[in-house]
Amino acid sequence: MSKNILADLLAWVRTAAGLSMVIAIVVAIAATIHSGPYLLVNTVVTGGMLALVATGLTLMLGVLNIPMFAHGEYFMIGSLTAYYIFTPISEFILEHPESWLVTFGPLLAIIGALLGGAIAGAISEKLVFGPLRRRSTDNWVMNSFLLTVGLSVLLINLHQLIFGADFKGIIGYWQGMPISIAGAYISLDRALAFIISAVIVVLFYLFMTYTRTGMAIRAVSQDITGAEIVGIDIEKIVLLTISLACALAAVSGGSLLFMIPSYPSVGLEPLYMAWFVVILSGLGNILGAVAGAFMVALLKVITVEYVGAGWDFVVPSALIMLILIFKPSGIFGSDVRGVLDK
Amino acid sequence: MDTIKNELQMNSFDRVLDKLCLTPIGLAGLILLLILPFIPPFNQEYLLRWLIYCGFIAAMSVGFDFTAGFINIVNFGYMAVAGTGGYTSALLVLNAGLSPWIAMAAGGVSSAILGLIIGMISLRLRGIFAACLSWFFGLAVMGLAIKMVWLTRGPLGLRTPRLFETESNFPFYFLIIILVYLTYLVCKWVVRSKMGLAFQAIGQNMDAARTSGIDPVFYRVFNFTMSCAIAGVLGGFYAHFYGILTPDMMHTSKTVEVLAVAYIGGRGSLWGGAVIAFPFIFLMEIVRSTLSHLPGLNLVIYALVLILVMIYYPGGFSYFYDTHIRKPKNKALRYVLNGRDV
Repeated sequence: MSKNILADLLAWVRTAAGLSMVIAIVVAIAATIHSGPYLLVNTVVTGGMLALVATGLTLMLGVLNIPMFAHGEYFMIGSLTAYYIFTPISEFILEHPESWLVTFGPLLAIIGALLGGAIAGAISEKLVFGPLRRRSTDNWVMNSFLLTVGLSVLLINLHQLIFGADFKGIIGYWQGMPISIAGAYISLDRALAFIISAVIVVLFYLFMTYTRTGMAIRAVSQDITGAEIVGIDIEKIVLLTISLACALAAVSGGSLLFMIPSYPSVGLEPLYMAWFVVILSGLGNILGAVAGAFMVALLKVITVEYVGAGWDFVVPSALIMLILIFKPSGIFGSDVRGVLDK
Repeated sequence: MDTIKNELQMNSFDRVLDKLCLTPIGLAGLILLLILPFIPPFNQEYLLRWLIYCGFIAAMSVGFDFTAGFINIVNFGYMAVAGTGGYTSALLVLNAGLSPWIAMAAGGVSSAILGLIIGMISLRLRGIFAACLSWFFGLAVMGLAIKMVWLTRGPLGLRTPRLFETESNFPFYFLIIILVYLTYLVCKWVVRSKMGLAFQAIGQNMDAARTSGIDPVFYRVFNFTMSCAIAGVLGGFYAHFYGILTPDMMHTSKTVEVLAVAYIGGRGSLWGGAVIAFPFIFLMEIVRSTLSHLPGLNLVIYALVLILVMIYYPGGFSYFYDTHIRKPKNKALRYVLNGRDV
């Protein structure tokens, strides 16, 4: 019995997924020993945020076949909502330091970001994706991609037009002593941001796996006609999927407001990174996206540490291109066909 | 047989026009563009500067459409490729003392090499994956341009000598009009030959194309190389017109500008983007300069137009022209719109 598991494990390690995960873990441990545990902390916090954005992106791609270019803008919407909810709250806290809002105010802001993202997603489905779906005849992937490009430019510039181009940031969510783990000091905000993203990813996974609605979403992603035949309301599922995906990006933006202030094009970097993750891990694979998110975060943190700040686009994109050349379907596999495959 | 007879019936004017890939109305438009800087409101230097920018985007959109409209792969790093050409050209002028004209050609060659590489490594990918790969490539190239400060002076930008030793914009305007036309002509010649058929076949259905004996490897790589070479030469023009070259030029948002013009103009037409760029970009510049207290408004309009076109009229302007304007009852009018042979 145990021997069997060991053999299975060895076989898994030899696949691309296992190999890359083992390499990632080894590199993470080596780098941590070399430069200190803050590296691991950074990786985990960035990875948690990236996992949220990337699962949203994966969901859009898997279920609706929309290669979302505007996903970073929902990140921006989330951080903006959180900023405008939290600013009055923090002023209130300054006057009443004993109020219950000291603990729960930030949570309120983050939940507000979640709702803001969900509503924004639903509105964009009603106004933009719905009409395109009803009118589109062929070339859906490309058309919807270009549509999201337009949406991205629109949202960035609406932000600039209405709220201005300046940085809208806060000092921090929770004031408190940093937690010390194995010699590394982690601020309360970072720790809680990671916990929030971990809880949401787990809840999302459970939702997709065990609830009826989650199953319906997966059914639509596998075969839309079949799903329609068994009586799934496609329109409803599509609306739910889009607002869910956007809410995931927005909650990530909201909970990271203390690190990344909100400004018009704040969403571009999470977008690039999330696309790295999605391409790296293959499409429509939620667990793969989570694992890929931590790998890309590790790659980014290590690049910043050892090569220098500003190289964090060059090295990861070069590495991902290499991976794409040798394994075009991503390391966690999905069906992609190229010119050279017969 | 029919075509030979038609050609015999054509007089020499029509034959020349046909060789130049122009219809009478196209010729009239070209002449209008050439005399435009002498017509009063447009003979001011700042308006001419805008027109030159229109011309640059027009030529870029023709080159972009050569890939996007025919083999159906969006080269999302197109401006980065153009920027590579621009940087090569600028560095050759500054460090090796070459004349800007030769350096522009060298920029074209360097971009062609880049295009060859992108074409080769994207062979295993299709559709949106190839677009992502070229996008990552563009990001990496932009990151390199920012970080190789010893060579490119990073975000400070390079001061480049201008192509003509005058303060006036007139010669630049005529040069860019010639470049727009040449780009169109070269692309159209290729597309008219057997190669164009092969491109379209690959873009529409790769497997069917392969079955009919088309080798997609050669055609895809050739297409990428050629469109990137065009981008390189135009990038050289950009560098030696503005006199300053920053990595900003390679940004994805610039590619989005070219992409929007190409798609609003109509994919697969080559001339659509070139025709639409002049009024469209010019209007955007007017909006930007007159409503400067509302920054970003021009891009909001821009994005809205792109979204509306994508939803309600994905064929763009050229499709509109082909279905509604091109076939009038009047014979003389039809000659003006179509030339002799239709």
